[in-house]
Amino acid sequence: MKKIATVLVCVAVGVFLVWCPYLVSFYWLRILTNIFMFAILAQAINIIAGYVGYPAFGNVVFFGLGAYSTGILMVKFQTTFFTSVLVGMAICVLFTLLFGVPVLRLKGHYFAIATLGLNEATRAIVDNLSGLTGGGMGLSLPLRAGDIGANARYFYFVFYGTMLLSILVTYLLSRSRFGYACRSIRSDEEAAEGMGINTTKYKTLAWMISAVLTGIAGSGYAYWMSYIEPGVVFDMTIAIKSFVMFLLGGPATVLGPIVGAFFVEAVSTLTWSHLLNYHTGTLGAIIILVVIFMPQGFISFIRQGFSFSTFVKKGKKKFSGREKRIEMA
Amino acid sequence: MKILEVIGVSKHFGSLTALQDVSFTLRRGEILGLIGPNGAGKTTLVNLIAGTTPYSAGDIHFLGKSIRGLKPHQIGRLGISRTPQIVKPITDMTTLENVMVGALFGKKGKKRTVRAARRKAEQTLELLGLAAKSNVPGESLNVQERKRLERAKALAMLPTVLLLDEVLAGLNPAEIDEGVDLIKKVRDAGVTILVVEHVMRAIANVSDRVIVLQHGEKIMEGKPEEVLNHGKVIEAYLGKRYRALAGNG
Ligand SMILES: Nc1ncnc2c1ncn2[C@@H]1O[C@H](COP(=O)(O)OP(=O)(O)O)[C@@H](O)[C@H]1O
Ligand SMILES: [Mg+2]
Repeated sequence: MKKIATVLVCVAVGVFLVWCPYLVSFYWLRILTNIFMFAILAQAINIIAGYVGYPAFGNVVFFGLGAYSTGILMVKFQTTFFTSVLVGMAICVLFTLLFGVPVLRLKGHYFAIATLGLNEATRAIVDNLSGLTGGGMGLSLPLRAGDIGANARYFYFVFYGTMLLSILVTYLLSRSRFGYACRSIRSDEEAAEGMGINTTKYKTLAWMISAVLTGIAGSGYAYWMSYIEPGVVFDMTIAIKSFVMFLLGGPATVLGPIVGAFFVEAVSTLTWSHLLNYHTGTLGAIIILVVIFMPQGFISFIRQGFSFSTFVKKGKKKFSGREKRIEMA
Repeated sequence: MKILEVIGVSKHFGSLTALQDVSFTLRRGEILGLIGPNGAGKTTLVNLIAGTTPYSAGDIHFLGKSIRGLKPHQIGRLGISRTPQIVKPITDMTTLENVMVGALFGKKGKKRTVRAARRKAEQTLELLGLAAKSNVPGESLNVQERKRLERAKALAMLPTVLLLDEVLAGLNPAEIDEGVDLIKKVRDAGVTILVVEHVMRAIANVSDRVIVLQHGEKIMEGKPEEVLNHGKVIEAYLGKRYRALAGNG
């Protein structure tokens, strides 16, 4: 029963979002597009950090790689956007193949720090290859032909489609052999290996999927903004923001990171427009409150039927929301 | 018929010799008991077979082929599974899902769909009397249930050889008897078993043959009633004084 309700709500929201570009102003279209982009990034983090338990803080490196693949190919080689996205995806795959084995050998914060290092190193390289990347001057991409409205809708659907893809990928992953392998690795890697799970293979694969989704978002961002520079697309604040969304929404759930992205961006936009001076402080305070009162993330909160008191009570027992989550998965 | 052959393996941790030139064979369909005082090297030996610990000398053959140097997951897929000494269910998974993992990644796992693995897991939980706990988190089970879950997981992997490391430790006598029954049930399902135990009483009831480790060396091998009453074994467990008192051997 609950499952049917969930599906109905999702379909209704999904259809409404297809309709949206014809209903709302460019201002809101832009905000929604931005939310979709962050939802993709949060979902990508969910795959490697939520399901496999590897906190890939430096995942923004793939955002930068995607953005620069698109920038360089479209500017220097006059390719189409679509081609540049494919090449960007391939570069992200190569990157994870190259660094997956050594980096995924590290655990916990050592892994997180290593990915941060990879991001900084890549940013420095991009910064210095100024012949190709424009260096610190940045890179201007060709503008998409067409009027403002058509372009706004185009990017809206590029990110919307990619977000749906990321949800689909996570959904399939969560129910597959791959998903069970990932969750076993998160629980205890040595035990997983002992149960016949090729941990290196599954970890690398999960990071690869996460990287590719992040890369597509980076490519889309570059074309959308039509201007990129290393300091912007390799910016750690992108990583932190998507991590917060992922944690708030509910790790290792299919829709949690999406809900988290909508929440954080909506609050951020509202506080931005109404409380200009207190913007960051208010956002921070709200995040702290959410973390304290919904330690399992929104999705569990929603699944508990919005009953705040039972939620808090249950949240104190270690297992609470997880039981429900498994039922749904 | 020989299923598993351990040929002169030695293992050193720095200057400590955990295993010294240990050899034995495991025959199809038997339950072989492995006993020895704490620190004798039993868990280390199991780790060597399962591939989680590399070894300095010797070789291990499974169905006639060397498995030395294979990764644990490769050995698991060949058909050797192990239940760890300390039982920890997979976190954030139900009891059923825990067993499904075994069914998905064990010997026949590659050919199984998730749905088939679920069915296999349900059957296995039924066999081990855990079906009522299918949908609760594995972590919420009590010690005895966890040990059963661990055996269900190993069974679902459908191993040729099952390595049980002290799965009866910490259970009361009634539970031990139940555990012994379960082990025999698993053997009757066609699995060859190496039982590592500290509890002599259980070993005597369950094993067809027993080998004894002390200070990393195999000191004895034979039928349970012979081995367990042998002076050397009593001495290994209880010291020389007790042997003198018992006037045995
Ligand atoms: N990883 C390790 N590093 C160093 N010494 C170890 C390690 N594992 C086991 N040992 C030592 O090897 C000996 C045998 O241990 P173990 O195989 O656990 O014994 P048992 O299972 O028979 O009680 C012990 O002295 C133990 O301290
Ligand atoms: Mg031991």
